[in-house]
Amino acid sequence: MIFSIECEILLRLISLNPLKGYVILNAAKLFFCSFIVSFSFHTVNPENDGRRLQEFLLNMEAAIRDHPLWAGATEEEVDCAMEGLEKYVMTKLFSRTFASFAEDAKIDQEILEKISLLQNFLRPEHLDIPAVFNNNASWLLAEKELQKINAFKAPREKLLCILNCCRVINNLLLNSSMSENRVPGADDFLPVLIYVMIKANPPQLHSNLKFIQLYRRQAKLVSEAAYYFTNLVSAKSFIVDLDGKSLSIDETEFHDSMQAARLVIKETRIKTPPALDKPADLPVPSRRLHNKGGSNYPFMEAEAGELTVGDVERLLSLYKDVVNNYTNLCRAIGHPPLSKLQPSFPHSEETNVLLEQPEEIMKTDHKAVE
Amino acid sequence: MGCSSSLPDRTSGRLGGLNSENGGAPDAKNLRVKLVLLGDSGVGKSCIVLRFVRGQFDPTSKVTVGASFLSQTIALQDSTTVKFEIWDTAGQERYAALAPLYYRGAAVAVVVYDITSPDSFTKAQYWVKELQKHGSPDIVMALVGNKADLQEKREVPVQDGIDYAEKNGMFFIETSAKTADNINQLFEEIAKRLPRPSPS
Repeated sequence: MIFSIECEILLRLISLNPLKGYVILNAAKLFFCSFIVSFSFHTVNPENDGRRLQEFLLNMEAAIRDHPLWAGATEEEVDCAMEGLEKYVMTKLFSRTFASFAEDAKIDQEILEKISLLQNFLRPEHLDIPAVFNNNASWLLAEKELQKINAFKAPREKLLCILNCCRVINNLLLNSSMSENRVPGADDFLPVLIYVMIKANPPQLHSNLKFIQLYRRQAKLVSEAAYYFTNLVSAKSFIVDLDGKSLSIDETEFHDSMQAARLVIKETRIKTPPALDKPADLPVPSRRLHNKGGSNYPFMEAEAGELTVGDVERLLSLYKDVVNNYTNLCRAIGHPPLSKLQPSFPHSEETNVLLEQPEEIMKTDHKAVE
Repeated sequence: MGCSSSLPDRTSGRLGGLNSENGGAPDAKNLRVKLVLLGDSGVGKSCIVLRFVRGQFDPTSKVTVGASFLSQTIALQDSTTVKFEIWDTAGQERYAALAPLYYRGAAVAVVVYDITSPDSFTKAQYWVKELQKHGSPDIVMALVGNKADLQEKREVPVQDGIDYAEKNGMFFIETSAKTADNINQLFEEIAKRLPRPSPS
């Protein structure tokens, strides 16, 4: 058998009723086969793939409802079966369907870079967020929800990360407004979401949104879920088009800040390579920056136990990127790669201070997080 | 608009954002309607919705209390029910370009202004033009002058609202979210104007 039955939901279905589960699984395999076969003939076309998956899911739902084995099944059972099917198929097709289009990967990268620049200077008042909503603990919670998005492969679960993030923001808005006797609406929600998105810099933002839009069952991307999803798309679009005129900031100041941020990032990139050679327990500047930037390095805070087989692919490609960048940088500055353990290029004063006072750094680190 | 513009239109084949509760074939008796709220920030969009949703509070219904998405079902005299899914939009100028993401596929657009603010009335006219250009062709539009309780501060005459709405084939009403005046009437009138899927 080419396809192993590893999707937990399908397994659960099968254990509930072996025959019902079997019917679904067979259909899923058939679809999977046809998908893969046509895949070898066609170039990647996300929109077509999305349409075909949606058609398949609709047909499957109709087939399940008509099937004698499912006669008398409740709406919930059918829904559960469909959720399992979506998860199974999309987990199988993940590498083909997620961020597989070069154009999308490029957009992801551009957004990631723009957000890393904005992170350096953007403050809530630039988006006219009322002080009453300034709540770092809630914002951080919302950021974390958003950053989890790449921990999942199924469209439903990715969408849940988004909804959870929005829920945290909503709770914040509702709780903070209660004392103020005001009614929070989209006028308050969207700016906070944009701010949280910039703070979080979620991985592969564009690809994740596109993936959900194309592959989440259409019957499920409606109503409240559709509304909050649209807000994410809208926040992303705002960030992509963001310039000096989009913020409450002087345009010259905006351009100067962006320029300064570019320099900061360039500088840290040069400083990063020697840090990689250091023993892991020493707090080094790069690590401090990573924690602040969060999602640029999604595995930075991960424990070995949390990693899934699916992460291997990304880890490997991240690893290759790091090695390539490191080698190139070393070459650029005339320093042999993979040399001694101690950093040997001239340090700016800041680096030395940071290295000598690890405890100080930890404190700043915590402040940044709080 | 990034990833959304190149995607298949979700509502094609359905009646401009109208669809039934179970997501299947249109159901003439139980409509589900996407309603988008547009208007300058501070005109009271979210107050109108909250008043509408709270005013008809039904302890058995599972009303999601979000900050910017709310839904409410009303029953009409002909035993039809209409579930409004209300999409609030950010009214600040800097988000104006994002509005099409929200009103795409909406069956109803409610454009709100503040009767004490001529600027907000101008902004409302901008939204109406936008919707005429880019909204669904069969979208039901309502023009709402809010804060009608502030008569002494009024700067937009009722007649201006009536005239503009008439010229543009819209339904017009003045409301007060504060006193709840005309809030239910607004949504009931919208419900009556919805195109009905023909019973099959």
